[in-house]
Amino acid sequence: MTRPQPPDWTLPAWDALPDERAPAARPPVAPGTFGLRILNVSDVSRAIREAVRGDERLRDVWVEGEVSRVTISSAGHAYFALKDERSQLQCVWFRDERLRSAFEPQAGLRIVVHGRVDLFEPQGALQLYVESIQPAGFGDLALRFEALKARLATEGLFDAGRKRPLPSRPATIGVVTSPTGVVWRDISHVLARRWPLARVVLVACRVQGEGAPASIVTALRRLDRYIEECRAAGRPEDAPAVTILARGGGSLEDLWAFNDEAVVRAVVAHTVPLVCGVGHEVDVTLADFAADVRAPTPSAAAEIVVPDRLEFAASLRRANDRLRNAMGARLATAARDLAVERRALDRLSPVARLAAGREQVGLLFDRATRAIEARLAGDGMRLERAADTLSRQATGRVAAARAALSGAAAALAVLGPQATLDRGYAIVRRTADGAIVRDPADAPTGTALRLRVARGELPATVDPDGRG
Amino acid sequence: MVNMLDHVTPSADPAIEKLGFDEALAELQRTVAELEAGGQPLERALALHERGAALLEHCNRLLTDADLRVRQLVAVAGKGLQAVDVKPDEAQEVPESGAG
Repeated sequence: MTRPQPPDWTLPAWDALPDERAPAARPPVAPGTFGLRILNVSDVSRAIREAVRGDERLRDVWVEGEVSRVTISSAGHAYFALKDERSQLQCVWFRDERLRSAFEPQAGLRIVVHGRVDLFEPQGALQLYVESIQPAGFGDLALRFEALKARLATEGLFDAGRKRPLPSRPATIGVVTSPTGVVWRDISHVLARRWPLARVVLVACRVQGEGAPASIVTALRRLDRYIEECRAAGRPEDAPAVTILARGGGSLEDLWAFNDEAVVRAVVAHTVPLVCGVGHEVDVTLADFAADVRAPTPSAAAEIVVPDRLEFAASLRRANDRLRNAMGARLATAARDLAVERRALDRLSPVARLAAGREQVGLLFDRATRAIEARLAGDGMRLERAADTLSRQATGRVAAARAALSGAAAALAVLGPQATLDRGYAIVRRTADGAIVRDPADAPTGTALRLRVARGELPATVDPDGRG
Repeated sequence: MVNMLDHVTPSADPAIEKLGFDEALAELQRTVAELEAGGQPLERALALHERGAALLEHCNRLLTDADLRVRQLVAVAGKGLQAVDVKPDEAQEVPESGAG
């Protein structure tokens, strides 16, 4: 907000008539003389404030003008100037009032402001304290609108505490509008795209002209009755859980049906939460104030009442993930349990025992093998050593034996018959039994004899002649 | 006996097929919560998982296959209010003169 110029109250007003009469008509006042009173700033401010506040016309004003220099303070108050060709008026719109309105001042917009004029003494600023703002073009209607709004507001019909929350996924949705316009088409398209699971109960009504308010009221009451019938018949899912009241954009007069008192009361009395989507963003009707939720447009109303199935599919995917994770965790636990059990089982099973036995046998076998091998290795060495000894002993013995043998052979040769035979003796044996014949009686006549001589044997027979 | 649904959804549980979206969703949420809480025997966990998956599939199919159903509420003389199935672009303007 810019600091306004100091009041130019010492100068003539822009429309003051120039005083063309002779200055002599005024009593001359010399500077510095008595009669002059020097005021301080606060005195002047108070004088202005009293003058402003005392003026009926400034206490409750409707001012039309063009918005410029809008700023919103960090506290949420809006400051702007309202101007026409000649003048500007500083306006202040406090946060609470501003947030209650669906309408925002924007530079260049022609609006009608309702409020009071007062002096902001710290800055000496004369300002319009705004209570409400409407788009320009109201004329008389604006006054009627405000008057009715004020009256219904005092009844509490617009209280925030009255607003009901919308159901999150209504199975059935009531729609009250004209079914032949683009509005109904938009609404049904949005519902079909976002949440085709919904069922729609359409109640046709006129939304402009003389009969429109009565038609809207009738439609809402029919819907009320239908909801009641469905519930009574035990088919609560057929009853709309939320209702859309909608109309497309139009002139102020076109939308006037939604400022009708009977319509407002029917909206307030409606059995289920009601979303009002009338006109465009800037259009605000009393039905909007009375509704549980105000949607900026009819399509927006349809979007507000149902979730988007694509977003919902994402939450289903999350549910799927959770399902899978939980099952995965459970299976992991089961696998761990199973592993524990299997180990326990493995220890107890006959195969395992056999294996264990086998293993033990194997170990023993190994030990035995190693022991035997070790022993064998030792034995082998001993054996080798023994063999060595043996062979050395054997060789010695053989040599000794040979020596003994050759000695014996020599002795034998000395003791044997050969030498005697060599000297011409013979050994006589009976051929029949080989017995050596030492007595002639042993060899009667005819006995076959063998005679061994030095170089061989001779056969002989005992001859009878020579005997005797 | 031939189940007419067999060729469409061979593994679908007929009891689940009959569930509305909200019922199926509510049961799905319960099922997920129970499975996440854990502590149940493995058979129970497997059964929960299977049912959860079937419920999920059912919800998904409902979301995908659904067609917006529109009925128009009309006042019929002597019969009171009637909700008549209409196609969205065939809804009728109010013919009456304010009788409600």
